[in-house]
Amino acid sequence: MSFFGFAEKNLESEKRRFLEDAARGAREEDLAVYTWGEDSYDGLGDALQEGGDELNDETFGGTGAVGKDFDFSNTTLLDDSHTKPSKSPKVQDPLARPQVAQQSATGTPQPTQPSRTSHSLESVWDDKSPFSVLPRMNGAGRTVGHASHSAKFTTHTSTPAQSLLSQQSTSLSLGENAHKDVHTLEEIEAEMLAAAAARQLQLQAQAQAEVQAQALPHALSQAQLRAQPPRQGTPQHAATPPPRMHPHSQSPRFHQQQQQHQIHILQLQQLQQQQQQQQLLELQEQRERQHQQQLRELQQQLRLEELERQRQLRLQQMQAGAANHLQSQAVHQRHGSLSPSLSDRNLRHGRSPAAMTPRAQLEAPFQQSMQYLPQDIQMQQRLLAEMAQAEFMNSMQAGVQSEREAREEREMQEVLRQEAMRKIMEAEKSEEKRRRKLAKIAHMARYNDLMTQSDKDFITRIQVSQLVTQDPYADDFYAQVYSALLRSRMGAQPQDERVIKFGSAGGVGLGFGQRGPGRRQNALQRMEAQVERIVQNARLREKEKISLNSLQGALGKTSGRSYKAAPRQLLQVDSTSPTPSPAHAHISKADVVASRDGAGATREAAKFGREALATTGDAKARKDPLTQREALMIIERLYDIVLDIEQHKREEESIEDEEEHEAWSKRLEQLIEQLWQGLQVTVYFETSNPHPFVSLLTPIKGKRLLPRIARHFNPDQMRIVLTLILACFAQLDVVKHASILDSLHDTVERRDVENQTQAFVGSVVQTLLPLIAKTDLKMIRGYLGILLEPNTAFSAFRTGPGLALLTLLLSRVAVLKQNMASATEISEMPSPEELAEWQQQLNHLFELIGPHLLTLFPSVRIGIISGLGFANVPNADVLDQPVWQFLASLAVHAQQEQQHILVTSLREMVLECVASVQKGWVTDPEDRKLRLNNVNLFLHALGLDASQIAV
Amino acid sequence: MDSVASGIQEPFDLIRLSLSERVFVKLRGDRELTGVLHAYDGHMNLILSDVEETIMIVDQPEGAVNGPSTVNIAKRKMDMLFVRGDGVILVSRKYIKWGAALSMSY
Repeated sequence: MSFFGFAEKNLESEKRRFLEDAARGAREEDLAVYTWGEDSYDGLGDALQEGGDELNDETFGGTGAVGKDFDFSNTTLLDDSHTKPSKSPKVQDPLARPQVAQQSATGTPQPTQPSRTSHSLESVWDDKSPFSVLPRMNGAGRTVGHASHSAKFTTHTSTPAQSLLSQQSTSLSLGENAHKDVHTLEEIEAEMLAAAAARQLQLQAQAQAEVQAQALPHALSQAQLRAQPPRQGTPQHAATPPPRMHPHSQSPRFHQQQQQHQIHILQLQQLQQQQQQQQLLELQEQRERQHQQQLRELQQQLRLEELERQRQLRLQQMQAGAANHLQSQAVHQRHGSLSPSLSDRNLRHGRSPAAMTPRAQLEAPFQQSMQYLPQDIQMQQRLLAEMAQAEFMNSMQAGVQSEREAREEREMQEVLRQEAMRKIMEAEKSEEKRRRKLAKIAHMARYNDLMTQSDKDFITRIQVSQLVTQDPYADDFYAQVYSALLRSRMGAQPQDERVIKFGSAGGVGLGFGQRGPGRRQNALQRMEAQVERIVQNARLREKEKISLNSLQGALGKTSGRSYKAAPRQLLQVDSTSPTPSPAHAHISKADVVASRDGAGATREAAKFGREALATTGDAKARKDPLTQREALMIIERLYDIVLDIEQHKREEESIEDEEEHEAWSKRLEQLIEQLWQGLQVTVYFETSNPHPFVSLLTPIKGKRLLPRIARHFNPDQMRIVLTLILACFAQLDVVKHASILDSLHDTVERRDVENQTQAFVGSVVQTLLPLIAKTDLKMIRGYLGILLEPNTAFSAFRTGPGLALLTLLLSRVAVLKQNMASATEISEMPSPEELAEWQQQLNHLFELIGPHLLTLFPSVRIGIISGLGFANVPNADVLDQPVWQFLASLAVHAQQEQQHILVTSLREMVLECVASVQKGWVTDPEDRKLRLNNVNLFLHALGLDASQIAV
Repeated sequence: MDSVASGIQEPFDLIRLSLSERVFVKLRGDRELTGVLHAYDGHMNLILSDVEETIMIVDQPEGAVNGPSTVNIAKRKMDMLFVRGDGVILVSRKYIKWGAALSMSY
């Protein structure tokens, strides 16, 4: 017994006692093991070979004589040896269940393990089942075994319906159990089936009673419903609503009255519409009460039957009465067409509740009524309409009417009927929609109140905490600016920044202004409250931390609550520095300090100033041009400064104090000065080639920067910029690489130059345009002089930007001349000497440009390079348009002989263009129009028109 | 220039310089991109426009470990591209090689 020599006396005796108890219990309670079979039992157990078990005992130690020294598990064998030497091979337990079942069925209870498990299972089960008292009540009766069986059965079945059945069978079999022996499986099943059938019969009877109750006052039927024994837990019943929810507004009597009423009304054709409406109303009412569908269904069934019967009667009458009437044919047809649906109807509804099979009856009202109801009502409506029709016909036939009249009436009737049908359909559709919506809401309502308010708050806090930043306005910048623009466009009063700020700690950007009151407004308010709470909590936490720190040095352990402590920082970022925002966090600190810190800015400005002075002082101090990286870095810094200036200008609104304003404008000046110096415009012209400023204009973002900074500079500063651009014109990348545009090969380089040129014309030239538009003749002459210097002139003529600038200057002069003629602006009036000088300059321009007039055109250049004729160059008209514009502006100023030069040089070009248009060589009408416009631009300046040219 | 030289404090500053410039991006899986850089973040996620992707596909015949392998190059173009940062090996500015005929001083 004892492996290690332990005395197991106590244990052993206890065990024995327990086992004896169990054995007794098992004897009483029998075995429940045969329940393992049931449905899922595959019968494999029966297929086991039962022979050859003779040596099992020796093998598995069935005899007590075998030593226990190697029984490490110390399990059942132990018990057996002490209680009863049994022949049953327990080790095969799981497989031998059927055998055990057999044994138990024959009434030889064994203290086997299965019995114990069943016992324990039962004890678990007994607590909950109402039959827990049974074993005690029935003392030594064997019937308990059955009870336990059914109880066990329920534990093994999964579907509620089955459990219901089993429970019921239990309750039913209880009475019989008293005088019955052990049941076999078949017996029990038969019993259960009988019970279920009985129950269904009962249900059926109830349903019938309900149907009958239709004739009775409604309250009675309700009472009956209530009187039904409560069968809670039955799924069918759970699906039906409790009777107390039954509305009283529509009693059966009301229905009956209405039916009769209907029959009367149907006689009158005018009232038909009204009737339909009434029905519609009724329909809606009905739908609203979905709870009572099962009852309603039955009512309607009955009513329908009655209606049908009436209708049939009427039809018969009608047919009999109108047999020799001319219209009878139509009626017959109608009837014929109607009958299939009618018979359908009969099929579905003709079966009386009593005739239904129990199952069908169970199903139809309880489960399927939901789907059938709308259809039923729809059908009913149609039937009613048909009936009204028939009624009307009937009454018509009674009178003496001409065929024509009858037909008219019938047509009208038909129209009315269709109208009514349409209305019904509409109502049904909307009703369907509403119902679906309700169902959805009901479906979602399952999750109502899943989260408590504190849960919601918690989540909101998490969400909001993600939004809190150091600089709410800058982080929300684009949304803020956009919403401000929107507001100003809509004429709303400009608001402050739409951010919530708390102290200097940070804030939350709110983005767009809310559009009207509503949920959003509410949500915003809630969020504000949330944020406030968060901040409050954060402060409290801070305080707590401080108070904890004050405990340092005290005796004892003072550990803060760990979850409140900040997580260990992996990156030591100095948070005290004025980092503008995370978006720019990666911009080096030094950069920021330089641009933000006033002292740093002045230092920088001073340095720039010194540099400028130094270079101007020593004209020969040449430098290497800026590398691309240097240029890019400067541009980045300039962008930072521009952003600062823009932000600074926005802050002006909030300043009220005079002193503050002074500081503000001082700071603005500083920033602008910084920007100016950063542009390197004042650096001596010959410092490097290209000039640093030109280097800054080389990247596309440098070109785009110019319009943004131009508005912060005064006109003098801008004039310097313009002069510098003109002076360094040949150094500009768009001028240097312009020749690439004259090739037709689509390369990365060509695309790049194209983009750059576009950006230059779009940004730089556009920025200079308003400046040139205010320049007087003297300055224009100066600019033109710079541009026409020998080294720049040629490049200016051959590039888009150059031509654009030349055109600008020339048209400004044209405007000035016009003003002079009309004597509008005296201040800008050029003196005669100036005009004479201008004429000289213009002559010079003609001299320069004369030999190159044709090669001004990109299409001509491309044509020469690629070997195509210029007319064949794709997209030539678009490319040539600026040239025609320039020539037009030139022609305006040209004198007689100069005009002659222009015409003779361009004669071929103009003729070619006009001819190609007039002879239809250009197929696309758009192209034709464009080409003609181009030529006319030039010809109009000379006082000619393309139509005058005969080809 | 001191202020310029000190303008670069961390690697990302170099990428910032390339914003709205054409960049060359080398990716894992033998892929390369050139395109205009519009945005990037700390994960090196990039947004590029006007992108040309070059994929190198090495075909080695079955069984031949040391045998000759052929490299195929597949190219495709995209207007706009989001590049997930975990595939980025290298980002550099793409220098345009101007023709020798053009006197360039870059």
